Amino acid sequence: MRDRLGGALALPGLGWLALFFLVPLGFILIVSLGDHDRFGRVLLDSPSLDNYRSALDPVFLRPALNGLRYAAATTILCLVIGYPIAYWISRYGGKQKTILLLLVMLPFWTSYLIRTYAWITILGDNGVINSVLLAIGVTDEPIVLLNTDLAVVLGMTYGFLPFAILPLFVSIDRLDDSLVAAARDLYASGRSAFRHVTLPLTMPGVVAASILTFIPAIGDYVTPDLLGGAQTTTIAKIIQNQFLGARDWPAGAALGFLLMAATVIGSLAVIRTLRREVLG
Amino acid sequence: MNHRHDGSSIDLERELVRYMVERRVSRRQLLEMMGAIGVTAALAPVVAACTSAGGTSPSPSAAAPTAAPSSAAPTATPEPTPLPSPEGELLIYNYAEYMDPEIIKQFETEHGVKVTETYFDSYDVMYPRILAGNSGFDLTFMTDTDVPGVVQQGLIEELDLSLIPNVKNLAAEWVDPEYDPGHKHSMPYMWWTTGLAYDTAKIKEDLTSLKALWDPRYNQHIMMLDDQREAFAAALIRLGKDVNTVDDADLDAALVLLKEQRPLVRVYSGDPIGTFKSGSIWVGQDWSGDIWTVQETRPSVKYVLPEEGGVRGSDAAVIPQGAPHPIAATLFINHLLDAQVSAKNTNTVYYMGPNAAAKEFINPDLLADPAVNPDKAVLDKLQELLDPGADLEKFAKRWTELRAGG
Repeated sequence: MRDRLGGALALPGLGWLALFFLVPLGFILIVSLGDHDRFGRVLLDSPSLDNYRSALDPVFLRPALNGLRYAAATTILCLVIGYPIAYWISRYGGKQKTILLLLVMLPFWTSYLIRTYAWITILGDNGVINSVLLAIGVTDEPIVLLNTDLAVVLGMTYGFLPFAILPLFVSIDRLDDSLVAAARDLYASGRSAFRHVTLPLTMPGVVAASILTFIPAIGDYVTPDLLGGAQTTTIAKIIQNQFLGARDWPAGAALGFLLMAATVIGSLAVIRTLRREVLG
Repeated sequence: MNHRHDGSSIDLERELVRYMVERRVSRRQLLEMMGAIGVTAALAPVVAACTSAGGTSPSPSAAAPTAAPSSAAPTATPEPTPLPSPEGELLIYNYAEYMDPEIIKQFETEHGVKVTETYFDSYDVMYPRILAGNSGFDLTFMTDTDVPGVVQQGLIEELDLSLIPNVKNLAAEWVDPEYDPGHKHSMPYMWWTTGLAYDTAKIKEDLTSLKALWDPRYNQHIMMLDDQREAFAAALIRLGKDVNTVDDADLDAALVLLKEQRPLVRVYSGDPIGTFKSGSIWVGQDWSGDIWTVQETRPSVKYVLPEEGGVRGSDAAVIPQGAPHPIAATLFINHLLDAQVSAKNTNTVYYMGPNAAAKEFINPDLLADPAVNPDKAVLDKLQELLDPGADLEKFAKRWTELRAGG
């Protein structure tokens, strides 16, 4: 009786997933097997795996690695910045915990695009940072900050930080501090207690935060497009170009599918390894 | 239950219990209240959206979609025959900031038609949508060189020229365009050139050559358009080749040139106006009409057509096949050709139209500006970007290689 109720409750969610996730995914798969005409229309009369073959061309390796680099850098930065913040809110937030979390989430209520444009204002040649540097005389020409790797990683880290802080917070908050107290009683230093008790026990949060940051980061083409420049092309931008400039939807679909598959497989492998190593 | 010892959640619970005891609210009643508040909060924006979308419209719309037009007497053009009634609505699909909103309002009041303009931010988003047929739009703007192919596929409607008497305002060179003889399927809208824009405040010399885009002195201050045809055109023109060549050797040579340039390029921009305004670019490829808009914020920016040559093109108004309101669309095309309407449009978006009769109403500074309105001798030396058909792949493949950094 309870099982049936549970299954029935899951139905709307599953239905939503099926309709808005699986069906479009199916469309992309079908499109990726087709060909295109000179107008960019998809032709499905002779399906083949040609697009997948051409997607494995080495020319796509560098932008793929670019996308990977940015996503990895963003994830690491989000963890390094997010963990202390989450830890502080959990341990020292006290009664203001909810408000502090709200403050973390607040930027989310503004459009992602507007927040990214704000970075353009900050990092631009006529922007805040350069104006200050020029005014105090540190340099007499503006430093190129915008349209670089740095700008992209900064923008992405800023955008995804709340994604990282929340799961980290949940995991840290759930930690029973009596365990840490026990470690201290057994002559562990603060640092040692952190390394041997807190960190391993909050690993699920770290894993969740990493996944929640890495996966959207690898598909983000808006931030590298707005904050990046000629040297920062990612695989996501190339895929966009296949759809738009090249009018080759099947090629774009195949590339997108491969990217998705690589991300899913990679993430599953990482989760499985972490689960085995850390959680035993 | 969370047994935290920091006091936070326990306080909340205690307050809640106190509230319930004092007001004699049972647990069930509390849940019902919360549910009601929750549902109201969730539905409020939905209700607000529904009522505002239905209630406010930017113009006085016709009472019924099939009502006769209110004033059948438009501004300057006397119709020889009575107009058929336009449908109540018109859906336009256009680039952003490519049409003066006031001329749209003017049309709405004159014909009692509700006009909605939807923007696309990239031509390559609009093109496949129209090609798929039944896009739901009545009017859109295609690059002139794309028109013949689309006509051949039967994807745009033939124009009822009897409803477009203002066609007499067209300048002589636009009366019988090569891409659409007798303009049976399209009507020229605006034309433009692609050249060099540079900031005279940062670059003290007069730039005259495309070589400026390859100048290492401007490292990290160069902008190219995020447009494979335009970027390759710059390289091909420098090599003295036809911008429409599909010869592999020529295209490979152009690719080499572009790869040499790449380390110096700050950005391949899809928004040249925004990029120029942001101040990080000293010299870049840009379209003629953008320059006055950029000058609104940075008056030191100047536009020149390079001595090696440049690109020119035009956009044409077309009615996609299956348009739900073709008569309104046709009347709108006629409206666009009205002398004063066309002039107002040019004065606002800074692109020149094909309208000879409009010249007397166009801002004389615009007419005199050789950047926006070059004379025929200059125009004849420019090349048009033709539709390469299946050979687009040759450009696309090399563009991917260039952008991928290989």
